[in-house]
Amino acid sequence: MSKSSKPGIKIPVKNGIEQTVRTLLNKALGHSIDALLMPVKVPSKDSYAWILMQDSDVVNDASPMAAGMPVQGAKALKSLTRKGGGSLRVAALMRPCEVRAAIELVKLNQINLENVVLISYDCPGALPLSELSDNFEAAEKKFKVLLSSRCFDSPDVKPVCQFCTGFSMGAADIHIGLADGDTGHLLLISGSPKGKAFLSAAGLNVDEDLSAYKKQVDLILKKKTQKTKEIFQAVQPMVEGLENLAETFSNCIGCHNCQSACPICYCRQCYFDSKESKLEPAYYMEKAEKRGGVSFPHDRVLFHVGRMSHMSLSCVSCGQCTDACPVSIPVAKVFSYVASQTQQAFEYSAGKSVSEAIPLKEFKEDELQKIHEIVKSAESQESPHE
Amino acid sequence: MSDGSQVLIIGAGIAGMEASLMLSRTGRKVYLIEKLPLIGGKVIKNEESFPNLECSTCMVAPIQQAVLQDPNIETLTLTTVEKIEGEAGHFTVSVLKKARYVKMADCIGCGMCYDPCPVSLDNEWEENLGKRKAIYVPTAGSLPNVPSIDSLQCLKLSGQKECSACVEACMFGAIDLTEKDKKLDIEVGTIIIATGSDLYDVAQLSRLGYGKYPGVYTSMEFERLFASNGPTSGELTMRDSEHQPKSVAIVHCVGREELGYCSGVCCLYSFKHAHFLKHKLGDVAVYNLYTDICVPDKTHQKFVESIREETQLVFYTEPTELSVDKKDGMLCVNYLDASGGKKSINVEMVILAPAMVPGKDTKKLAKIAGIGLDDKGFLAVDGDGLGTVETGKKGIFIAGCAVGPGDIQNSVIQAESAVSKVMSTFLSEVS
Amino acid sequence: MKKVGVYICECGPNIADNVDIERILASVSSMEESEGIEIVAKPYKLLCSGEGQEYLKEEIETNQLTHLVIGACSPRDHNSTFINVCKQTRLNPYLYKLINIREHCAWIVHDKEKATDKAIQYIRGGIRRVLYQSELHEKKLDINPDVLVIGGGIAGIEAALCLAGPERRVFLVEKSDKLGGKAAEWGSLLPRQAGGVKAIQDKIGQTEANTGIQVITKTRVNNIIGFLGNFEAELCQVDDPETTTDLTVGAIVVATGFRLNEVSSLPEFKSADSDEVYTTLDVERMLKEKGQVALQTGEKPKSVALIFCAGREKVGYCSQICCSTTIKIARQIKEQNPETAVKCFIRDLCLPHKDDQAFYQQARDLGVEFVRVQTVKSDGVGVHYTCMDQSNGTEKFDMVILAPAMEPAEGTTELSEILGIPLHETGFYEEAHQTINPVATATDGIFVAGTARGPGGVTATLNQAQAVAGKIMVQLIPGEQIVPEVKVSEILEAFCMGCKTCLDVCHYGAIVFDEDKGISVVKEAVCRGCGNCVGSCPSGAIQLKHFTKPQLYQEVIEALR
Repeated sequence: MSKSSKPGIKIPVKNGIEQTVRTLLNKALGHSIDALLMPVKVPSKDSYAWILMQDSDVVNDASPMAAGMPVQGAKALKSLTRKGGGSLRVAALMRPCEVRAAIELVKLNQINLENVVLISYDCPGALPLSELSDNFEAAEKKFKVLLSSRCFDSPDVKPVCQFCTGFSMGAADIHIGLADGDTGHLLLISGSPKGKAFLSAAGLNVDEDLSAYKKQVDLILKKKTQKTKEIFQAVQPMVEGLENLAETFSNCIGCHNCQSACPICYCRQCYFDSKESKLEPAYYMEKAEKRGGVSFPHDRVLFHVGRMSHMSLSCVSCGQCTDACPVSIPVAKVFSYVASQTQQAFEYSAGKSVSEAIPLKEFKEDELQKIHEIVKSAESQESPHE
Repeated sequence: MSDGSQVLIIGAGIAGMEASLMLSRTGRKVYLIEKLPLIGGKVIKNEESFPNLECSTCMVAPIQQAVLQDPNIETLTLTTVEKIEGEAGHFTVSVLKKARYVKMADCIGCGMCYDPCPVSLDNEWEENLGKRKAIYVPTAGSLPNVPSIDSLQCLKLSGQKECSACVEACMFGAIDLTEKDKKLDIEVGTIIIATGSDLYDVAQLSRLGYGKYPGVYTSMEFERLFASNGPTSGELTMRDSEHQPKSVAIVHCVGREELGYCSGVCCLYSFKHAHFLKHKLGDVAVYNLYTDICVPDKTHQKFVESIREETQLVFYTEPTELSVDKKDGMLCVNYLDASGGKKSINVEMVILAPAMVPGKDTKKLAKIAGIGLDDKGFLAVDGDGLGTVETGKKGIFIAGCAVGPGDIQNSVIQAESAVSKVMSTFLSEVS
Repeated sequence: MKKVGVYICECGPNIADNVDIERILASVSSMEESEGIEIVAKPYKLLCSGEGQEYLKEEIETNQLTHLVIGACSPRDHNSTFINVCKQTRLNPYLYKLINIREHCAWIVHDKEKATDKAIQYIRGGIRRVLYQSELHEKKLDINPDVLVIGGGIAGIEAALCLAGPERRVFLVEKSDKLGGKAAEWGSLLPRQAGGVKAIQDKIGQTEANTGIQVITKTRVNNIIGFLGNFEAELCQVDDPETTTDLTVGAIVVATGFRLNEVSSLPEFKSADSDEVYTTLDVERMLKEKGQVALQTGEKPKSVALIFCAGREKVGYCSQICCSTTIKIARQIKEQNPETAVKCFIRDLCLPHKDDQAFYQQARDLGVEFVRVQTVKSDGVGVHYTCMDQSNGTEKFDMVILAPAMEPAEGTTELSEILGIPLHETGFYEEAHQTINPVATATDGIFVAGTARGPGGVTATLNQAQAVAGKIMVQLIPGEQIVPEVKVSEILEAFCMGCKTCLDVCHYGAIVFDEDKGISVVKEAVCRGCGNCVGSCPSGAIQLKHFTKPQLYQEVIEALR
């Protein structure tokens, strides 16, 4: 939230939220920004793609708030800005989790936000990708209802979205507030000097009092936090101990789709695809002998645990991994749970701010105090986490 | 044959070792003289050093190993300097190398010779808190890892009785009881004296009860009690009993008034001792009695603050009025508080932190070298008020606690400074 | 065909009595078939002895061994011995491995069967590992013996004077227009430093006259790249940053000094900028200029308060030198004006030098009053305090002198970033190792001396400057080359995604970013081989030579069979 006591502005909704947003962005196009990055329905009309656009006609075809998330927005930003900020001023309209992923990737030197204005919105959640594939039209309709009715507790969105406490404003330059229930208006909230400049260039001066809005957001957050507790309690037995982990991932086919879809996994070649991680036949034979059998693809649990240890500090719970999994493993739930524990241990929040260094890159003398507490309480009681 | 580039370093403590390694890098031949059978000096007597409580052995062992394996450094243990003649560029140093009676090239340090030795006595390196044999290494982990024989205690060597127990136990024939002390003349261009310091003999202050009450220890004795390779294996059991103390008073500034200076390190290690006690024993009451808390380096105050909760700080005045006596089976530390009122604390153990004084051979060595001592008996630094390591004699430099009280960091800096002086002397002398 | 020589040392009774060497040899020989290599496996009495080393040399040559594994004592004892043996043969020493079956097996496992099993695991693991090891060749690098000294105060001057010589130039860079720093501003030093003021002036004169030292004033350092023996420095003029000069040197000495803490901003010292409240530095300057202490009116003060440890709570450390210098000032005032009441408000006295307590005692004998306090505040010239016995006091004085803490000089943070060396949490430069390497920094070739490193007095500063000179003199010998460590990290370009995680975790500044290629690159000469970067790279793009993942992994896999 912006530090000023009145950092927002109310805009009347005309012809729906998405149209209002399109109109606003079209106005800015060619003036304070040169291009927009937004989802657009693909020609086959059954999915969305990220399009970098300069043409207002294309803008009018865009779906600023897409029903689903086939590709994580941070990936699009990564492709665009990996080699530098460029001179094109771009406004990118993304879900809060995509903004969080982008923030993490900035810290990993994969995204450059110099000439990018990030715009996020209060997100009702995204529908599972499988639903879009089954019946795109119906999914799109369903989502539009969620949006227009300002519904943030739908049981139909992806599981990770149901317990997402980051659904509202994060580190974006501008945030579109929808959660206060006033269906006739939307709020434009400035989150940074860049955002403020963008809004004033559009002739919009922030002076709205956001306390009512904040109250509503807090109420929704409370419910989501409760949901988080419930879901994590259910997930915990799935990951505790090697046996449970192995069971959870027992039907994994080793396609590594989850890693491909994950915005945080930026490696050119995943270590688990490298030659180094492959072993000689004699090794497998011996294992088969000792244990009675060895399965292929090999080291599946190791892959997931390895991926957890590499990216869980930056996991933003966007749920792409579950969407991408062809055998319906609830990867996102599991990884979100683990991420919440590891981030808690370092008192770190992924995607919150560019100035908060990723714990892997930094050393504090008094870090990991949380781990001592977690271990201590685990030793004395059965339920170690809050 | 000396070309003036050889260097003699007296004392193989941290300063001497550091200087020898640095000089060896330049290809110079270094003679490192050490009177004890092992190298490492005082640093290795502390299990952990302030301010990071780093394991001293881990810190120093690589240095000791490097010194012993360095092809340019000739380490002469059990050796003392008898005479120094000549001048910068051409010194002739006469040394007495006492017999070790064990051939260093043949001994592999297996330790089979200790058990059979019939003679057992107090181990002075362990502050007489543990025992050793006549054939011994001062402590587990001594380097060089080769025993020496105490000729005054060995039955055979002292002429008391025929005995060859150790000789028979040695598989490599490394023991040679016929070895004789040797006198050697070494020609060098420059000399660095780094003979270190000792602790003030607290037995001289009878008011403190040291020697009278077994529960009164010096700080160095406590270091050995705490050391895991020491006489109690780090269990902190007290002299004459298996008992671990339930209350300890640590007295800072012992001898400060009498000697007239602050030694600058005792506050720090006394707080370190408080931390050791709390950490090891848990349920123990600790008191640190101080007059001024001296924590000069940028890291020291934080270290003291980090252990502040583990002890009770007790300010006392008139240090010469502090006394220790026994009452109802406990040791009673009597002191004057801020307003001069009489107070006392009853404890089971008292640790005295004495002043640092010059090593007992300093006076003799200064005379041999023809250099001066200051009014406290430390080696005197020469040079228009801003001298650091130079003496009145060209080519002879001093470093470390032989010059004055200081911590390990200070000794290392002085050793490095002495090396720069040696290098410059060489440049001007030999060309 | 790979031919591995495996030699088990009996080490007298140490190993021979406690493990079944024959069984080890048999197990090792069975690896010939499974690994498809040739193995020569033999026992020997004592490999570290002279004969043992000759034996090994002969075995290597006669059998044309391609790899060597020795089962014996701790690498601590004899790794270098056997490396030397290899160096005297055609076998690259990095194709050899010493396995410790004495300290790790024979000496600690008391059951002979079990000790033998363990030794077999270790040795087989070692053989597997050695097959994955590669030849590494030591390189020799030419070095530049010249030195850049940053800071023309007493530390910089002393270092320059010690280092400059016919084969080594020193560039002494100073941001102000003259040499001498703070020490030159003092009219007097402590009695034990008698003659010191003149000595400092003499040193300044010698520095200016020394043809081996190039003094560059009104200049600061813009940028530094490179490593020990080969640094490139860019300097610029303070008042014209566009005018730059380039230098190449082999070592850098940071001697940028200190400043005093701004006591006037502390809540305990209100109105500290009012007329008759001074810092000790103000008074030093006054004494040098006027020869005595006087009020603004020119009159002598009838009462002077000196407050020690001003600002100590804020900075969190003792500045070591203020007690003795403030006592010096108190004494001077009292000596010049015996009727003036001089009162020192002290906390814990810090007088660690062997001569300083006597100095304090002399001040007392002269009539300087010392009041030990628990807390002390001042309001202009009014002093409020609580004593050790909890009693309070308030007094007004003609003059109040505050002894502030020492802080790092302005620009320290910026310079530390330019140099790429870390700062301690107090803001002073951090030493490579606080106890045993106190004037070096985490980056080889960059040293720090004087108050830039931490509070201290003139003598300590000179000591450190000389120590730095000593270190440079032995590491950068004119005409000689250095042999950098070969067991260093290397980054595989194809896999590097430029995330800079390795760069952030490298404490030695050994990794730099290539902006053009968008990848991180290891400066081999600076790398210490600690392996932090290897562990931090999620892509596995970094390998530590001689400790590569295949080598370590294979050793463990084989040992755990």
